[in-house]
Amino acid sequence: MAEHDLTKTIIPYLDRHLAFPLLAHLVETQLFPVEQVQAAQYELAKGTNMVDYAVNLFEQLYPDQEVPEEFSRKRETAVSTNERLQQEAQAVLDVIENPGVAQALRQDKNQNLTFLKDNYNVTLEQINALYNFGQFQYTYGNYSGAADYLYHFRVLSTDSELNTSAHWGKLASDILTGKWDTALEELNTLRDVVDSRSPSSLLTTPTEPAALAQLHSRTWLVHWSLFVYFNHPQGRTLLLETFLSPTYLNTIQTSCPWILRYITAAAILSRKSAAGGNNSSSRVRYSIREVVKVIQMEEYQYQDPVTSFLKELYVEFDFEAAQRQLSLAERVVTDDFFLGEFRDEFLDNARYLISEAYCRIHQRIDIGYLFLYLVIVWASDELIYRDLSERLNLSRDEGEKWIVNLIRETRMGAEAKIDLEKNVIEIHRTALPVYQTVIEKTRGLAFRTQALGAGMLHSQQAVQSQSQPSIVDGAR
Amino acid sequence: MSRFFRQLGDSDSDTEESDEELLTSGDEELAPPKQPQKPSKPTGMSQFLRTAGGDSSSDSESSSDEDDSDEDDFGGGGAKSDEEESEDEDVKRTIKSTKDKRLDEIEATGKAIENALKINDWAVTSAEFDKLLRLVQRQSNVAEPIPPFFVKALINLESSLNSALAKEKEAKKKTNAANARALNSMKQKIKKALKEYEKEIHQYQADPDAFEREFTAHTQPAEAVSVKAKKIKKATIDDGGEDELEVDDHFTVVGKGGKAMQFTADAIFKTLKIVNEARGKKNTDRTEQIRILEKLLEVAVTSYQRLRVLLALVSSRFDFNSSIANYMPIELWLAAQREVDQLISIVALDPSYVVQEHTVDYDELLERSPATEPEGIVRIRGSIISFVDRLDDEFTKSLQNIDPHGTEYVDRLKDEKVLYRTICRAQAYYEHSEQAEPLGRVVMRRLEHIYCKPDAVVAALESCLTSSDVQPSVVLTSTSTTSNLVHRLCVHLYKADNSLLRTRAMLSHVYHHALHNDFYTARDMLLMSHLQESIHSADVATQILYNRTVVQLGLCAFRCGLIKEAQATLQDIFATQRVKELLAQGVHQQRYQAQLTPEQERAERSRQLPFHMHINTELLEAAFLVSSMLVEIPLLASIDSEEQKRKMISKPFRRLLDFADRQVFTGPPESTRDHIMQASKALQDGEWEKCRDLVQNIKIWSLMPEAASVKEMLASRIQEQGLRTYLFTYAPYYSTLSLSLLSRSFSLPLRTVTSIISKMIWNEELSASLDQSTDTVIFHRIEHSRPQQLAQLISEKISALVEHNEKTLDSKFGGGGGWGDRGDVKGEKRGEQTQERRGNRTRGALRGTRGRGSRFAQGLGNQMAELSSQRAH
Repeated sequence: MAEHDLTKTIIPYLDRHLAFPLLAHLVETQLFPVEQVQAAQYELAKGTNMVDYAVNLFEQLYPDQEVPEEFSRKRETAVSTNERLQQEAQAVLDVIENPGVAQALRQDKNQNLTFLKDNYNVTLEQINALYNFGQFQYTYGNYSGAADYLYHFRVLSTDSELNTSAHWGKLASDILTGKWDTALEELNTLRDVVDSRSPSSLLTTPTEPAALAQLHSRTWLVHWSLFVYFNHPQGRTLLLETFLSPTYLNTIQTSCPWILRYITAAAILSRKSAAGGNNSSSRVRYSIREVVKVIQMEEYQYQDPVTSFLKELYVEFDFEAAQRQLSLAERVVTDDFFLGEFRDEFLDNARYLISEAYCRIHQRIDIGYLFLYLVIVWASDELIYRDLSERLNLSRDEGEKWIVNLIRETRMGAEAKIDLEKNVIEIHRTALPVYQTVIEKTRGLAFRTQALGAGMLHSQQAVQSQSQPSIVDGAR
Repeated sequence: MSRFFRQLGDSDSDTEESDEELLTSGDEELAPPKQPQKPSKPTGMSQFLRTAGGDSSSDSESSSDEDDSDEDDFGGGGAKSDEEESEDEDVKRTIKSTKDKRLDEIEATGKAIENALKINDWAVTSAEFDKLLRLVQRQSNVAEPIPPFFVKALINLESSLNSALAKEKEAKKKTNAANARALNSMKQKIKKALKEYEKEIHQYQADPDAFEREFTAHTQPAEAVSVKAKKIKKATIDDGGEDELEVDDHFTVVGKGGKAMQFTADAIFKTLKIVNEARGKKNTDRTEQIRILEKLLEVAVTSYQRLRVLLALVSSRFDFNSSIANYMPIELWLAAQREVDQLISIVALDPSYVVQEHTVDYDELLERSPATEPEGIVRIRGSIISFVDRLDDEFTKSLQNIDPHGTEYVDRLKDEKVLYRTICRAQAYYEHSEQAEPLGRVVMRRLEHIYCKPDAVVAALESCLTSSDVQPSVVLTSTSTTSNLVHRLCVHLYKADNSLLRTRAMLSHVYHHALHNDFYTARDMLLMSHLQESIHSADVATQILYNRTVVQLGLCAFRCGLIKEAQATLQDIFATQRVKELLAQGVHQQRYQAQLTPEQERAERSRQLPFHMHINTELLEAAFLVSSMLVEIPLLASIDSEEQKRKMISKPFRRLLDFADRQVFTGPPESTRDHIMQASKALQDGEWEKCRDLVQNIKIWSLMPEAASVKEMLASRIQEQGLRTYLFTYAPYYSTLSLSLLSRSFSLPLRTVTSIISKMIWNEELSASLDQSTDTVIFHRIEHSRPQQLAQLISEKISALVEHNEKTLDSKFGGGGGWGDRGDVKGEKRGEQTQERRGNRTRGALRGTRGRGSRFAQGLGNQMAELSSQRAH
């Protein structure tokens, strides 16, 4: 399954700190040798100021070696820098935390700056100290503190470049502290910033054209947002909403097609809201159709069991192949850092999709046969597969209940009937009656004709009103 | 009668006159016939006779005829082909060499001058002197020494002129006005002549005898040979070609004489200057110039001299052919190519010499070397890149003009190798000297030679580079692929500042990808370049390249089995019905457009691609029609079953199909089109095997590199589409169909059949469902009763009527303006229209606006209302 693991592909687009959870997850899944993952963790930690963590990892990795000297030195410098920065930042913080000041602050940042400068002698450099301290806190892993300072900094600073940087920092901190609501807010503001961004910004070097820089930041944003979307309760629909919008879809298609896995998973996961929800936008409602189109388009660039499942199901209509892919996809989903928690939900929805498609195409379905399909899906773990017959009996009742639910939930509505005697489901689809089509067609005609008449009258009036306005007024 | 004669008489040589004549004779028609004798011109009769006699009007261009006729008359006895001579032919019938005659003439003129001087008639003197100068000029033109007689006459003339002037001053108003004017002009002329022949005069004055001796010594031995050589030269020029060997021969012969002094290392710059000055003048003999320069090149010693001579030589070679329509003679081209190579070698190996387009002014007559120059670098004015460009252009031009089916064309194509090498060497030079702008141009040239060629050809072209002494940074090694090479060249160009180069590089790169069946990369690159939005404003050559790229992309999709993509890509270009013209593979046909002016036509012809770069249009058409067939036929079948007209996808294909349908009798297929049309019919009837055979029998597939796999792909596509067509067509006549039967009759695996049918059901193309227990398809066709059908029909017609009314009303009250713009908006906004219209109407009524605001402003309703209300207030 290691070949479907995306950790390696994703990490280059993440911040150093954001990669830690991914690596920790890898240790758990044991896809790769633990030593290798730990070595990677150590390398990662070495570059940060999280000295204790790095030392810890080092000891795990090389139990019989001395901890290098540099760590203690690093620790000292880190502590001293921390103190220095804290003192610098404290000055501003004292001013801001004064309730009188907080009230006096307005929307206009420039005005605020002059206000602070005039009354409390707070200069721009001091405000930048907030940023520096926030950033430093982030480097040694005090994410909530970093989030606080960066928040304050952003309220005050006018430097757009540092502001964007602070945005990214705040988002990372929020993600790492697990405040998903704030993170989501942060993500949305950051998205606005990125979309409306002028060429001068964090990631831009002068030689890079603006469009390219924007593409880069969008790619980064896409990856970072995965954390939020797969942890926030509404995340999946929001993910579809965002990623299927043309700009982000383009970004994904050009620079990171592997994100398709997450789009696909999200589309499958949000099936229920897609089927029944009235409040979701059309983009979410037809997400599966959209996603299938994209998967087909990008097949040459990226495919994995998750995407292949949808492709087999909706492009080839090969149900057996779809099942095979699904059982593979299950493993992939289980091992995936973002999708792992949604395994059961994913499978459940996938099963629904299979049976819905199957029922729509067939008229008479042998329930046993359908069960066979579904049971194979259920029993994809080889352990369970062994005593299939037993599972079959057990799942029969379960399955019946399940199918009834299916019929109730899906659009088939009243057309499908279960015939238990013959053990089949019969689906009678009636075509749209002629009367209804005629009614549909002629619906607007009367109104349109009325409008036509009125328009005609009106234009006549218009002609008259130029010559005799008084008469028109009278007529009205 | 008279007109007839006159027309006969006024032969081609003076058509204008005959035109005039026609006009005047129209006036004269009532007058009695009279002799066409007019004082202003010779009689028609006599002129006619003269033409017949082989003595056409003595234009220089017709001198070749003259030569021939002379030869006939005198049995080719020696030389007498000078123009003057032929005029005086009757007088002097003695056989003499040209040179002698010329000398005689010079002497005669000298005598005349002397006589005129004696009677102090300056007008005659002036005229005679002009003649004398002309004669002597000709003498020096053929590289013969100045006769001492002339020098003597010159000196005499000067002295008598001086004395005449002196006399005139003394005796005022003695001479008449005409004479005085002539005298003055003589003064000028003499001054000029003296300056011109200063050297000779000095020599003569120093030692008249020696001068004379030298002259006679030169004339006597060389005479016989030079005359012969002259004859040869004339012949070669008349043929319009040039034979190097003979020219060289001639050259050395003359060079033996005293004139050889011109071609020494010291005099190079002077000679160069003379040649340069003569360049571009009307009567300059270009062959002669080239010969002089070649000789100069032989004697040039230093690098500087050689560079200067080479620059001049190459440009004069390019000058040789002045007309735009013709191409440069191949020998000349080859020589020029060699010289450009030399040029590049010199500057590439010795960095202290630089050829630039802009330099500070320098004295052209001085020898320069790195030591004498500031910074130690000798900068010479010139442009290697323009030579390379010109070489390449001339090569293309020659290919355009040579018949592509002859061996000559193939021979010519072999020269591409050396040209490619020259281009690569130039690239190496510019890389070395870090000149970005010409480097970009030369890389583009290189790219243009390889982007559309198969790997083997590119490898062959590249192979000649290994022997070269200077190599560009990017070469095809045995380990890398051509795609790699093209990629690197293109990446270089993407970094260039010149957007045209970037665009062309992009298109070439896409083309190359498409050629290598890398459809997705090619497509993504093309789409991401956003060229399709701006290509309309590009120059014609780039547009052609764009068309080629798109077409190649379509072919690539076809080869990869992406039928729909291929159809959609090729659709645009076939819809125009001017495929050949758009690809620059044939001039346009008159019937589609107004007549072009000759200039446009010539421009178009010069844009044509050489034959070996053509994309085979027949293959293209076959690919397009087959993919259209595979898309269109199932669609056509589905229309009947669904009773709703769908948008037709491929108009050209539909048209052909309709035409084929109308034919009463169809014979066995001959052309590609016939094959495809009959295949389409077979597909419609569900006979997929016949269809497959017909399509596979098309001969043109053999031109595709992967013919076998393409045929296989087509076969499987035909099977699938055949099944779809069959289902669409025959569904109404079945209530159930066994899947296994379908699978057997279309020899498709059961699974594929199920998949195809499922797809059709899912997409609601087919109202049917599968019965799993019996493995059958059940069709749910609902037959409408007659009243139901009619009800549907009438509802459709009513809505059409309403629509029509709306349109009429709009065009009546809305005026002509704006409908065209809103046409597209209208379609999309159908749904919102009613809403908007209502809003518009009420608002209009409330505000009492009039005119434009109140009409059915579809789509733009709100804006229009606001606009007009603003206007009203």
